[in-house]
Amino acid sequence: MLLTVRNLVMAYDGRTVLDGVNFDLEEGELKIVMGPSGCGKSTLLRCLNRLATPTGGQILFQGEDILRPDTDVRALRQRIGFVFQNFALYRHLTALENVTLALRRLRRLPVAEANARARHELSRMDMLAHQDKYPAQLSGGQKQRVAIARALAMDPAVLYFDEPTSALDPLMAREVVNMLHQLRRDKVSILCVTHDLYLARAAGARVLFLDQGKILAEDEPERLFDSHADPRIRAFFRQELEQQRPEPLPI
Amino acid sequence: MNGLQIFLSQALEYWPQIVAGLGNTLLLAAVATVSGLLGGIGVFYLTLSSNRLCRRLTEAYISFFIGTPLIVLLFLMYYGLPQWGVQMSPLTVSVIGFTLNVSAYNARYLMTAYRSLDPDELQAARAQGFSDWQVFRLVTLPQVLRLSIPALSNQAILNVKDSSVAFLIQYTEFFAQMQDLAVRSFRFFEAYLVAGLVYVLLVSVVVLAARWLERHYVLPGARRKY
Repeated sequence: MLLTVRNLVMAYDGRTVLDGVNFDLEEGELKIVMGPSGCGKSTLLRCLNRLATPTGGQILFQGEDILRPDTDVRALRQRIGFVFQNFALYRHLTALENVTLALRRLRRLPVAEANARARHELSRMDMLAHQDKYPAQLSGGQKQRVAIARALAMDPAVLYFDEPTSALDPLMAREVVNMLHQLRRDKVSILCVTHDLYLARAAGARVLFLDQGKILAEDEPERLFDSHADPRIRAFFRQELEQQRPEPLPI
Repeated sequence: MNGLQIFLSQALEYWPQIVAGLGNTLLLAAVATVSGLLGGIGVFYLTLSSNRLCRRLTEAYISFFIGTPLIVLLFLMYYGLPQWGVQMSPLTVSVIGFTLNVSAYNARYLMTAYRSLDPDELQAARAQGFSDWQVFRLVTLPQVLRLSIPALSNQAILNVKDSSVAFLIQYTEFFAQMQDLAVRSFRFFEAYLVAGLVYVLLVSVVVLAARWLERHYVLPGARRKY
């Protein structure tokens, strides 16, 4: 098992954001986390790479308890790829430099080797032609691809995606699904937080439904969306479907 | 000989001192700009500390030196400290005074630029495994410096002009020499006019350098439209 989360609790400002979360992620598996806004999805991801420190529970990553006080947090983070909601590219660096920065400064690779690896990842994301552009010169979808290339270049054991489609237009959002499929074919382990029903359905992965800090269900998307026994889950997906239904085209 | 001729002949005679004064002005302005920038970066780094006491002390430093006129600081060190047995040359006092003062201003400019950074960018760097120092050096500082070029170059201009204040603590910079020339020739208007024109010339060089820096180092996407 790549990742095992048991009874994860996260509380701050007197509020319990995660309240005993349990789930597993296997090597090469893609899993989606869904739930209403403020249910703790992003906090969960941040706990998993120790950007936030949980108040209780256990996270086993590659068999190692990463909540132990003696955990080398920086070394842990280098084994995890994190793709942020708004991509969070370094805006003073080109696409290529964004990918090479960690390779050169953390992995201590020589410039030529770092560039070669970065170009390989950019090419995999179909972004090689844009390697010398700055983030401000890229579209949302292109930034997303560079952010993924940046994460993949470190050869991480897992990729965490935080709302990968929320800052993209619908067409670009569909491209993310293709990318997820491609990454899955390459046996990349992925945990993806999203509220995008299309993404969840098209990714063809199991979905964890998180509400008020608890995992209420884990199931195939169809069963979860259409016929789950829990009325809260049915109500959430009905409401989401209504909101995400495309507007009819004007005649 | 008319008044202007008297002034010109005195200026020619006094030329070596004027050039030496100009050299002193440039020396003080350059040292204050460089040390003030380095000091400003140091103070700015401390304002980001996770230690509350450190942040408070740094804020107090900035508020004190921004709130204290430079001349008071210079007088305090040059005329006040000898009372306690500490005596320093006019240049040393000027460099220390300017550095303390300019560092506080520069730190404030960098803090203002820092507030415009995307917090996710800094968090992304931490998520990649960079240490806090690496995040500062590789992500924060290159951006805030580039965003602060206009403010920092304004400060460099002020350093050139404010260096004339050092004349009040016996530092024989350009304005001190022009003042001497004015007194010797009794041509105050001409002497101060020439002094003003020379300062405009010096400032113009700084402005041109600042524009070049801005053109070459402005953050992509943050380019201003004129």
